[in-house]
Amino acid sequence: MSAPEHRATEPLLEVRDLVKHFTIGGKGMFARASGRVQALNGVSFTIGPGETLALVGESGCGKTTAARVIARLYRPDSGVVRFKGMDMATLKGGKLKSARRALQMVFQDPYGSLNPRLPIGAVIGEPLKIHGVGRAAERRQRVADVMVQVGLNPGDADRYPHQFSGGQRQRIAIARALVLEPELIIADEPLSALDVSIQSQILNLLKDIQEDRGLAFLFITHDLAVVNYFADRVAVMYLGHIVEIAPRAALFAAPRHPYSQALIDAIPVPGGGKRRLGTATAGDVPNPTSPPSGCPFHPRCARATGTCRETMPALVDVPGPGPGQGEHKVACHHPLEDGPLEDGAGPAAGAPQP
Amino acid sequence: MNAAHHAMTRTGGAARGVWSLFFHRLGAHRLAVGSAVFLAVLGVLAFATPAIEAVLGVDANLVDLSQRFQGPSRAHLLGTDELGRDLAARLLYGGQVSLFVGLVAALASAVTGTVIGLLAGYYGGKLDALLMRLTDGVIALPLLPLLIVLAALDLEKLGLPESVVQDPNISLYRIIVIISLVGWTTVARLVRAAALSVREMDYVLAATAAGAGGPRIMAVHILPNVISPIIVASTLSVGNVILLESVLSFLGLGIQPPIASWGNMLTGAQELIWSSPELAFYPGMLIFVTVIAFNFLGDGLQDAMDPRAMEG
Amino acid sequence: MTRYVMGRLVESVIVLVIMSFVIYALIGLMPGDPIDLMIQSDPRLTPADAARLRAVYGLDKPLVERYLHWATAALSGDFGHSRLYVRPVLEVMPDFLLNTFNLMGLTFVISIVIAVPVGVYAALRQHSAGDYAINLACFAGISVPIFWLALMLIILFAVLIPVLPASGVSSIGGGGFLDHARHLVLPVVTLTIFSVGSYTRFMRASTIEVMRQDYIRTAFAKGASRNRVVVRHALRNALLPVVTIIALSFGTLFSGALITETMFAYPGMGKLIYDSIMGNDFNMALVALLFATLVTLLANLAADIAYAWLDPRISYKSGGGSPR
Repeated sequence: MSAPEHRATEPLLEVRDLVKHFTIGGKGMFARASGRVQALNGVSFTIGPGETLALVGESGCGKTTAARVIARLYRPDSGVVRFKGMDMATLKGGKLKSARRALQMVFQDPYGSLNPRLPIGAVIGEPLKIHGVGRAAERRQRVADVMVQVGLNPGDADRYPHQFSGGQRQRIAIARALVLEPELIIADEPLSALDVSIQSQILNLLKDIQEDRGLAFLFITHDLAVVNYFADRVAVMYLGHIVEIAPRAALFAAPRHPYSQALIDAIPVPGGGKRRLGTATAGDVPNPTSPPSGCPFHPRCARATGTCRETMPALVDVPGPGPGQGEHKVACHHPLEDGPLEDGAGPAAGAPQP
Repeated sequence: MNAAHHAMTRTGGAARGVWSLFFHRLGAHRLAVGSAVFLAVLGVLAFATPAIEAVLGVDANLVDLSQRFQGPSRAHLLGTDELGRDLAARLLYGGQVSLFVGLVAALASAVTGTVIGLLAGYYGGKLDALLMRLTDGVIALPLLPLLIVLAALDLEKLGLPESVVQDPNISLYRIIVIISLVGWTTVARLVRAAALSVREMDYVLAATAAGAGGPRIMAVHILPNVISPIIVASTLSVGNVILLESVLSFLGLGIQPPIASWGNMLTGAQELIWSSPELAFYPGMLIFVTVIAFNFLGDGLQDAMDPRAMEG
Repeated sequence: MTRYVMGRLVESVIVLVIMSFVIYALIGLMPGDPIDLMIQSDPRLTPADAARLRAVYGLDKPLVERYLHWATAALSGDFGHSRLYVRPVLEVMPDFLLNTFNLMGLTFVISIVIAVPVGVYAALRQHSAGDYAINLACFAGISVPIFWLALMLIILFAVLIPVLPASGVSSIGGGGFLDHARHLVLPVVTLTIFSVGSYTRFMRASTIEVMRQDYIRTAFAKGASRNRVVVRHALRNALLPVVTIIALSFGTLFSGALITETMFAYPGMGKLIYDSIMGNDFNMALVALLFATLVTLLANLAADIAYAWLDPRISYKSGGGSPR
């Protein structure tokens, strides 16, 4: 066992070989399980203190499951979640509770994540109450302080969630996450339920918090444009696997996985509108109850070969000159070469056909 | 600040909105409002019966065989029964008993059902399976025969101390207990279903992630969000409880004389239907009107508390 | 499907076995066991005699042992003698059963015949005066104390306007179909008023729900007439949940039948249960109660299976989903 307080050289959060499958249906005495969703299939990454890792992928790829397993809302089937040196997967009772103080979540839907029956002052102050921080008056003061920090009027503490707009609600959720002064915030698609005009306000708020407080973030999103603005490093997920992980600049400059390339291609270009993911990939995300054999991406990949259909590629260091060994990894039998492919030509043109 | 100001003015209206909407909808339900008024008046009258007796100079338990079967008069507003007791005063005492039994047993059932439903819905798994099998089992039983057996049990053989068995109000407590024993299933199912859906809400996950334990989540996050169906179901169940109490009392297994209840007043009246049918009319009519009032009220509350109207 | 039925069957048997023990235990807790009754009727018995008699009847043994003894005998078909009727309990039951079957069966058919069209009518004219009146009538039926209703009907039709018999199944020395039918009128009317309100409300709610569905709108959009849509599409689908709920409410109907039978001195299962409990006829009470439990469980089971069978959306083959 390591000491409860982590050393600076250790990551704040280390996730190793996380596996989580869900069973669909099959409850009751005489029924059998009918399907398993393989939400996480051996996910590993680390986040250092004050660092922001973006976890990127289409919906259904397991991002949200990863977030919830890390926050111990679900128990993993196997694997390790080490937060500040403590194993989140096996902690119990008081230790789990104290670990949770330093790890807070912001959810996607600010309409669902706030209890409609509680005034927002109680919503924001609840973590303080749960952890027995201070007296009522002190708690009220802290709630007021944090409300100011996120741009809310402390005088609104007695109002109810339904009296606020979506953007304001997300500010409330962020205030709740901040009130215990955590070291890591897991933000699960915090922008995607908001109007586009509000998204940038909330993103700027998160950016300010990131810069002012030196907080670490696990930022879960499907939107690479946001990642480019916000993340230090990026992990790309596909069907329960991390297919590429790299520093932000390296990933955007030279994505190695065809899927990362496709995601980057889909970023809307100013004036050019948004291109569909389909420019580089065909078809839809496969049904996660019956994932394809071999590389999970092969049915949609223009570069796929027989090997891809049969064996799952390992997540390995990208060879050659790069930002440094161990920082850029990719899981692909046929990774893209240095530099993005020519726009318009499409990866299919240069891909070796089987 | 401008935005916040906007929010304040806009939301001030919405705050009133929820409750005004609730009362508006309930108000539109004229039967429900009328029922609530009727029940309130009945409640006040029933629990003020001693004072009313004093004012009218009657005594519900005074047997006066010279005054049997009197018609309505200034001395006895509704006349007298077969023992010369004042019928109106006895009806009010009966109302006291029926309302007391109905409200207390409905409340006890609601509490039991809520606890069982919360445990089953929030913890799920084996506990849920066990509790729901129990609920299904109780629902599947023929209710009235079972209640008759329970009401006929010899309390001394159950091992209760003599002081309890001899308590003059024992028939009152016993009827409340046995009705509560079987009356919790509706609320348990409702609460379980609601808890199952609420526990998947992000705000419950948020509380869990913040470190809240099961009891806190159930009390702070789930219970307030399932309270409306509990209130509706309990209001409706008061009517049912009053019906059960009255039939058991009528069969001689519920409230025992000399305590007056609408049910046991009918027992005596049954034998006299040839000579004094009116004695059988009043108690039953009061049961009927009271039960229908609770049902109207519950129905109105159901419409007024429609969750689709309460959200947002 | 077979798997599901088997599972539910096993569950029902378990409930029945548990209930047989519970009822057995409860009956043992009622006042006046057989020995008490003998002592009452024969003051010469000494406490020592009583103890000896208890041993003879096995009443000094622990509850579980007595229960197992009873259950073993019961499984071989020996349910003991009825104290009130002085015959084996199984011989007593058939007559009562037939009478209850007539009462409940007739009530059920009449209630359905009324509830289905009235419920559909109310649903199709939601918020109309007719709907409002029907709703009021349903509430009245649900809220009326059934024993008082019986009393009022007796006062009205047997005392004030003496046209119908107020008790029994047939006149003394009488018989014949018409006589039996006359004796059934008041009990059936009472029980029908008791049950038809809730059936109508189920039917109304179910029809309203169905009429909101997309396939109904599609049928209208395709130009089908209102009657055709209601009869061909809505009614079928609206009946399914109603059938289920009605089967599930069998226990309620039986409770109503118990009161009705008691009020009209109608010798059915409900009256048998009530009389045997009040008359310390414990063998009879035990078997009659268990039988009522069994039939209620079977009705619930039938409801669940019918629902599973009729609703194509639920697949019970190889565990397609949770049965509830």
